[in-house]
Amino acid sequence: MRHTKLHTVAAATAAVFVLASCSSGGESGGSSASGELSGEGTGDSCTIDAEVPLGAVLSLTGAAASYGESQQRGLELAAKELAEKGGVTYDLTIEDDQTDPRQGITLFEQFVNDGVSLIIGPTLSNAAVQSDPIAQEGGVPVLGISNTAAGITDIGDYIFRDSLTEQAVIPQTIAKATEEFGLEKVVVMYSNDDAFTESGYEAFEAALQDEGVEIADTLTFSKADTDFRALLTEAQGQEPDALVVSGLIEAAIPLVTQARELGIDVPIIGGNGFNNPRLMADGGEAAEGVVVGAAWNSASDNPENQAFLEAYEAEYDAAPDQFAAQAYTGLMLIDEAIRSECAADRESLKTALGELEDVPTVLGEFSIDENRDAEHPAVVQVVEGGKFAVLE
Amino acid sequence: MLAQYATTLTFIALGAIFAYSFYAVLIAGQLSLGQAGFASLAAFSAAALAPSAADVGDVPALLTAIVIGMGVGAAASIVLGLPTMHLRGVFLAIATLGFAEAVRVVLLNAEWTGGAQGLGVPRVLTVGMAWTALAVVAYWFWRMGGSRYGRALEAIREDELAARAMGIDVGRHRLAAFVTSGAVAGLYGVLFAYYVRLIAPSDFDFAAAVDGLVTAVLGGSTMFAGPILGSGFQTMIPELQRAVGIEAGWIRPFLASLLLLVVILFLPGGLTSFIPRRVRMPAATDDQGKDLAGRRHPAAGDAVVTLAALGKEYGGVHAVRGVDLEVRAGEVVGLIGPNGAGKTTLVNMISGLVPPSSGTATVLGTAIGRTPVHRIAAAGVSRTFQHSKLFDRLSALDNVLVGAHLVSRPTFLRRLLWLPSARRDERAALQQAARCLERVGLADVAGTRASALSYGDQRRLEIARALASDPSLLILDEPAAGMNHVEAERLSQLITSLARDGLTILFIEHNVGMVLRTCTRVVVLNFGEVIASGTPEQIAADPVVIEAYLGAAEPADVDPAAGSIAEGTAVDPTAGGPDAAAPDAVLNVRPAAAGTLEPPDTTPRDAT
Repeated sequence: MRHTKLHTVAAATAAVFVLASCSSGGESGGSSASGELSGEGTGDSCTIDAEVPLGAVLSLTGAAASYGESQQRGLELAAKELAEKGGVTYDLTIEDDQTDPRQGITLFEQFVNDGVSLIIGPTLSNAAVQSDPIAQEGGVPVLGISNTAAGITDIGDYIFRDSLTEQAVIPQTIAKATEEFGLEKVVVMYSNDDAFTESGYEAFEAALQDEGVEIADTLTFSKADTDFRALLTEAQGQEPDALVVSGLIEAAIPLVTQARELGIDVPIIGGNGFNNPRLMADGGEAAEGVVVGAAWNSASDNPENQAFLEAYEAEYDAAPDQFAAQAYTGLMLIDEAIRSECAADRESLKTALGELEDVPTVLGEFSIDENRDAEHPAVVQVVEGGKFAVLE
Repeated sequence: MLAQYATTLTFIALGAIFAYSFYAVLIAGQLSLGQAGFASLAAFSAAALAPSAADVGDVPALLTAIVIGMGVGAAASIVLGLPTMHLRGVFLAIATLGFAEAVRVVLLNAEWTGGAQGLGVPRVLTVGMAWTALAVVAYWFWRMGGSRYGRALEAIREDELAARAMGIDVGRHRLAAFVTSGAVAGLYGVLFAYYVRLIAPSDFDFAAAVDGLVTAVLGGSTMFAGPILGSGFQTMIPELQRAVGIEAGWIRPFLASLLLLVVILFLPGGLTSFIPRRVRMPAATDDQGKDLAGRRHPAAGDAVVTLAALGKEYGGVHAVRGVDLEVRAGEVVGLIGPNGAGKTTLVNMISGLVPPSSGTATVLGTAIGRTPVHRIAAAGVSRTFQHSKLFDRLSALDNVLVGAHLVSRPTFLRRLLWLPSARRDERAALQQAARCLERVGLADVAGTRASALSYGDQRRLEIARALASDPSLLILDEPAAGMNHVEAERLSQLITSLARDGLTILFIEHNVGMVLRTCTRVVVLNFGEVIASGTPEQIAADPVVIEAYLGAAEPADVDPAAGSIAEGTAVDPTAGGPDAAAPDAVLNVRPAAAGTLEPPDTTPRDAT
C-alpha cells in the first residue's frame, strides 16, 4: 500500500516536470527564429508572417491587483484593436505575478527563456527593480507601463517605460497649484508603507521646497487605513493653505470625504494615485476641487484619447483610469516601434523603441528620451462637476 | 535543461529553508509567527553591514552576510524568547506576530532601510549555493531527529507535563528550538535578499509568515523532509497551473487554496505521511546497559521520601492536610482511599508537579516546593499518571526512549559529526528502552504508535517509560484502572518483580486486593488526612478504614471480624466498573498471602 502511494507521488512529480518542459518546449526557439520576425514594408504596410511573441507581467492578484486589472484591460483592448488592424499579429501572454517578487522573477526568467520579443510590466516599481535585471542580462527589451520610481531605466539599455516618473509630474503640479492658489503653507500626508506613494511624497517634498512653500507638518498613514479623522484634525490645526496627499486611490476616497466632513475646504492636491475615475464615483461631492497631477489627461480631446475613451467604455462599461491608459499606450507604442523597421526581434525592437519620437498617443505627443524614459505632456487636473478638467 | 528551472529550484530551496524555521519550533509544539521578523532583521542588517561583493568576491560576501544574518536572527529570537517562552499555543503565536509586525513598522520608518521603497542588494546567490544551504539545514534537522535532543523536543510537543516528569528541562529545550528557528529564519532572510536584488519590509509581512507556516505544515512538521516537500509543492503549483494553461487571475489562487485544503484534509500529517518510517528495534544483547550513565540508588532502609505536616489547599479546600509520611528504600507503599481523598494531590506534590501550601517534604535529598519537576525527576523520581499521558504520535519504543532521557547522554552534536560514540550511546539507550518494553511485555509492539495501543498496553507502556529512567522511586497513579482482571494480575506480578529488584514503589490503586497483595505497607487517606498506615494485615482489619472506605451507606455489608476487604467480599464503591471487582483481581486474597511478600532485595541494583 505504502509503495503504491510512493509511486503515485513519484509519478505526479514526474508529470509536473514533463508538463512544465512541454509547455516551454513548445514556445522556445522564438529567439533563434528571429529571422522570421521581420517582414516587408514599413509603418501601416508592414507585414510580418510570424506571430510576434510578447509577454506581460502584471499583478492580477495580491496587493496590487486593482492596478493590474486595469492594465490587463488596457492591454487587451489594444491587442484587440491591433488584431483588427492586421499586418503584424501578436501573441500576447499576460501573466500574473501575484504581487510576489518570487513570481515576478520566475516569470521574467521564463519569458526570457521562452523567446518573447519584449516584456511588458511589471506593475510595481519594486518588482521592476527585482525583475528587470533578468531581462537586461537576457537581452530582452522591457517596457514599463506603470513604473514611476526614479532609477528604473538605469538598470540597463533594454529597459524602457511609457510612464512618467513622479519627478516629471509632481513639480508641475506644485508649480501650477502654487500659482493658482497662492500657496504659502501646506500639510503633507502620505502612506509610508508603499513604495509608490513614498516616492511620490519625496517628489512632493522636493517640489514644495523648490517653490518655497512651507511644510507645516508631515503626517504618515498606512495604505490599509480608512479612518483619517484624527490625522485630518491635526492637519486642520496648522491652518494650511492646502493639503498635499500622496496616497493610493483606496486611501484617497475616504481621506477626501472625511476632510470635507470636518470642514477642511482648502484645496487637496494629490499625485498619480488620485488619477482614477473612482475618486468622483465614490467621493461624489467631496471630490470637487481636488487637484490631481497626472501623466494622463483623461479630459484631453486629442483624437487618440477620445477614441480610447469610447472604445474602453464600450468594451468594459466603465471609465478607464491612468493605468489602463498607460497600458493601452504601451502596446500601441510597441506596434509603432515594430512597424517602423518592420522587424520584431529583440535587438530591432530595442533600437526602434529608443527612436520613438512625437508619436501621437492617448497620452499626447510621445517620445522616448535618451534615458529611455517617457516624454510627453503631464497635466494638472481639477475635479469639476464630477469630471477631471485641466486646471487653468 | 537545469538552467531553465534554476529560478524555480532556487525558490524551492529558499521556501524550504524558511519552512525549516517553522519546523524548528513546530517539532517542539510551538506555534510562532515571528520568523518573518527575524528574517527581516537579518536581511536588512546583513545587506547593510556585509562587505560588498564587488570588493571581496561573491562567496566571501555572502558568507559574511550569512554569519551576520544568522547571528542577528538568533540574537533577536533570544530577546523575544526569554520573555515569551512561557506562552503556549495561540498566545505565543500572537506575541511573536506582534514582534514581527513591530519589526516591520520599525524597518519601514528607519532611514537606512530605504523605507517602503526597499534596499537594493546585489544578486550573488546561485541555485547551487541555495541548495547547498538547504542541504546543510536539512542535514541538521535530519541528524537531530534520532538524537536525545530531538526526541526531547518531540516529547514536549506531545505532552509537556509528561516530558517534564521524564526529566526534560522544557524551558531550556523550548528556548533552544526557538533560537534555532531564529537562526534559520535569519539564513533565509539573507539568502532571499541576495537573490531578489531588492528587499522591502513588506516582503516579510504577515502573509509571508503565514506562507512559511503553511509550507511547513503542508510538508509535515514531524519529519525532517517535510519542509522540502512542502516548498516543492507550494512552488510547483503556480508553475503547474501555467503549464496546463489555466488563465491568469483569481482562479489560480483559488485553485491553489482548494488544493491546499484537500491536502490538509486528507493528509493531516502533511506530505511526509507518504514516507514510511522505520523503527529501529535493537537485537537483544547481553551488555546490560554498561554505556548508560549509571545512577546511585539509596541503600535499602534509607529515607526516600520524608513528608512533614505536608498540606495543600485549593481556595479554602484542604485537598491534603498535615500528612507525615516516610518511605524508605525498598518499600512498596500502597496509597488507598476513596475518590477525592487527596491521593493524587499527594503524589503530585511528591513528584514536584504541585507545590505544597504548607509543611515540608524531601524526596531523594531534594526539597519539594520550588524545585522544578525535571530536577526532581533527575533526583530519581519517575512516575505514571492517573490518565495516561503518553507521547501519542511517537512509537512505543520512542516513548520509552524519552523515558531514558535522564540516563542517556546528549548525542545531537556528535551525531552531526557521525562520531561512533554517539552511535554507541544511542544503541545503549535503545537497549535500555527495549529491555523496559520487554519487561512490561510490549516488545512486539515497539513500532506501534502509542495512541494505537490498547488501553491496557498504554498503561503498561507508561510504566515502561517510567522504568527507563532507572528511577530510585517509582510512583504509579492507579496503574490498574480500567484493566481487566487478567491484565491487573499481570501488573501485580510486574510490581512484585520490580519490588524484588529493590525498587522503591509508591502507588495509588483502587483495586484493594491488588494493593494488599503487592505492598509492604499501606497508607489510607481520607479527606486529605492519613487515617491509617500499616502492614496489609493491619489495614485489612482496621475498622476505621472499613468505615471510611465503605462509608455508612452500606453498613450491613461491613463485617470487620471477617476481614471483608482483604477477602474481597467488600466491593470498593469508588472503583466503579465491573473490572475493578473482577474476582481474580480483587477477591480471594488472603491477608496472609499479602503479608508474606518476600522482603525487599537489599543488594545494590544494576541499571535495571
